[in-house]
Amino acid sequence: MRVGIPKGLMYHNYYPFLHTFFEELGAELIVSTDTNKDILDNGVKYCVDEACLPIKVFHGHVHSIKDQCDLMVVPRIMQLREREFICPKFCGLPEMVVNSVPDLPMITMAPIYATSKARLYDWAKVTGKMVTNNRGKVQKAFEAALEKQRGYKMGLDDKDCTLRIALSGHPYCIHDTYLNMNIVKKLKKLGVGVLTEECIEETIIDNEVTRLYKRPFWTFARKNYGFTSHATNRGLVDGIIYISSFACGIDSVVVELIKHNIGEFPFLVLKIDEHTGEAGIDTRIEAFVDMLERRGS
Amino acid sequence: MKITFPHMGNVYIAAKALFEDLGVEYVIPPISNKGSLEIGALHSPEEMCLPFKIMIGNYMHAIELGADTVLITGSCGPCRFGEYCELQINLLNKLGHNLDFIVIDSPGDIGRKELLNRLGRITAGSKKNKLEKIGALMNAVKVANLVDEIEAKARYLAGYEVNKGDCKKLLNQCKRDAMQCKGGQSIIKLLGTYKDKLSSIRVDKSKQPIKIAIIGEIYTVIEPFSSLYIEDKLMDYGISSKRTLTPSWWLKNLVLSPTNMNQLEIKRSAKNYLSHMIGGHARECVGEAVLAHEEGFDGAIQIFPMGCMPEIVSKAILPTISKDKDFPILTLVVDEMTGEAGYVTRIEAFIDLLERRKENVLSRC
Repeated sequence: MRVGIPKGLMYHNYYPFLHTFFEELGAELIVSTDTNKDILDNGVKYCVDEACLPIKVFHGHVHSIKDQCDLMVVPRIMQLREREFICPKFCGLPEMVVNSVPDLPMITMAPIYATSKARLYDWAKVTGKMVTNNRGKVQKAFEAALEKQRGYKMGLDDKDCTLRIALSGHPYCIHDTYLNMNIVKKLKKLGVGVLTEECIEETIIDNEVTRLYKRPFWTFARKNYGFTSHATNRGLVDGIIYISSFACGIDSVVVELIKHNIGEFPFLVLKIDEHTGEAGIDTRIEAFVDMLERRGS
Repeated sequence: MKITFPHMGNVYIAAKALFEDLGVEYVIPPISNKGSLEIGALHSPEEMCLPFKIMIGNYMHAIELGADTVLITGSCGPCRFGEYCELQINLLNKLGHNLDFIVIDSPGDIGRKELLNRLGRITAGSKKNKLEKIGALMNAVKVANLVDEIEAKARYLAGYEVNKGDCKKLLNQCKRDAMQCKGGQSIIKLLGTYKDKLSSIRVDKSKQPIKIAIIGEIYTVIEPFSSLYIEDKLMDYGISSKRTLTPSWWLKNLVLSPTNMNQLEIKRSAKNYLSHMIGGHARECVGEAVLAHEEGFDGAIQIFPMGCMPEIVSKAILPTISKDKDFPILTLVVDEMTGEAGYVTRIEAFIDLLERRKENVLSRC
């Protein structure tokens, strides 16, 4: 069986798990290519107009491999932690895809609750059954996939540079180099290092958010708020760049919370959508870095 | 302490009954209007959704009238409404208004003790005893149910009335008179008489009016200002409309939700299209669209504020329902930039379409 994995949304965080799981089940993997213009254009064409850019790009990835596979993996990530969500659109992702992209193969509909091993296994059981009837094999593949995911560390933590910025935002905005026009490389060229949220320990982040009036109920709201707060207070960075997709509901809240928290600290919000021009992004990054340099000297 | 609260449809009538029976000082902000939206949009973050902006406008108006405490409900995601309280506290603080916020959140999140503590703060200024307080709450719930019932009936009868405009006039009169009453009991009595009056409006049962269901995001459909008074407009066109989401529905849903016995009908009808609770009222929106078709409605209009996350998912699903059931659905997205002319044109075009489908273009004459 050929299993299609779209390279969108949380793929960059969880590909070791997905790859290992389906490979161990004996499926042939069809992974879509890195995001490119075609994928973006098809995503815009096939997705509901009001959705945000990452969701549109995901639709584009699904569209690009739909004819080559028998089963499409559309992860419905409900929770990564107890009493926390990612975004309502994640919870309804399979429905969005099914109703927007025509001529789809079979797709995975089971919800993912990654709050405990047992609940995650519920997903593996249902999804594994779509590939093989051998339950022992599913169990083994699940264990192997978890093992692989545990050993996977992501995140950027550049040292030895005069200026360093905290790059925050949803992981799919930070790690998809086409969406953010390779901002990390652009910053490197200007001699600026980058620190991302994955390199800060979870307990530190949890500690930072206790100061809020209300416990954040979005995983990435908590992470970004805690990360920027910690990075500013400890002087780990010289400024913050927040990559936010246009009309992102979570960002509209988090950006305000961060602004309120950090006061006068340098903070740049880069909005991205399907019309974003590269020249505009370049200018703003350069201006921001110039400002940081002058502050420093 | 002077309590205020943001507007949401007919909530203000129930709130009036509650606070007067409790003997708590309160301020009802002026009914949401262009002014509230303008002030709200001026101070709010640009990317926030429309309800937030209108609410800020309500608070600012209430502050001018002397309010110092805000009462709102919270939620724990995944829709951003749950984060309103924190942002609004910060925003009003920055503007130099030091308001007290009482956020009624689910006990699962803040703990039962904290919830009771917060509820206690509402009644801190009240001299009534416990029994009277419970009575006040019961009266307020009764008022909410009655006023929603009257409104629903008037909106539905608008398609059948013999003298055009009777229902609308009566409904507006009813709300105006309710505000002149004092105390829960007198409001309940007044609403009772209006309920009878509504039954005696002359209707022509042989009429076959166009029937439209209003579905979508809860605040925008309930608060008439944010949907540009779409239901009043439909009444003027002689169309029967139905809306399931009301403050009293919300209350009932909230009370029943721990038992999982809430809105079984909607869950059943939404099952084929959206089987999970994804936050906000997306599942309700999908379920209502299917139900409206089953109940013989001619079409549905979905309304949501720009950027509303759950409704974007339901918007993706609705075209499939529309195709499967051969049921027209119009989606209207509102924000502070919505122009009335463009909005009305689309509604009129939709009504024309429904008329032609019925092969009865004279249905409204």
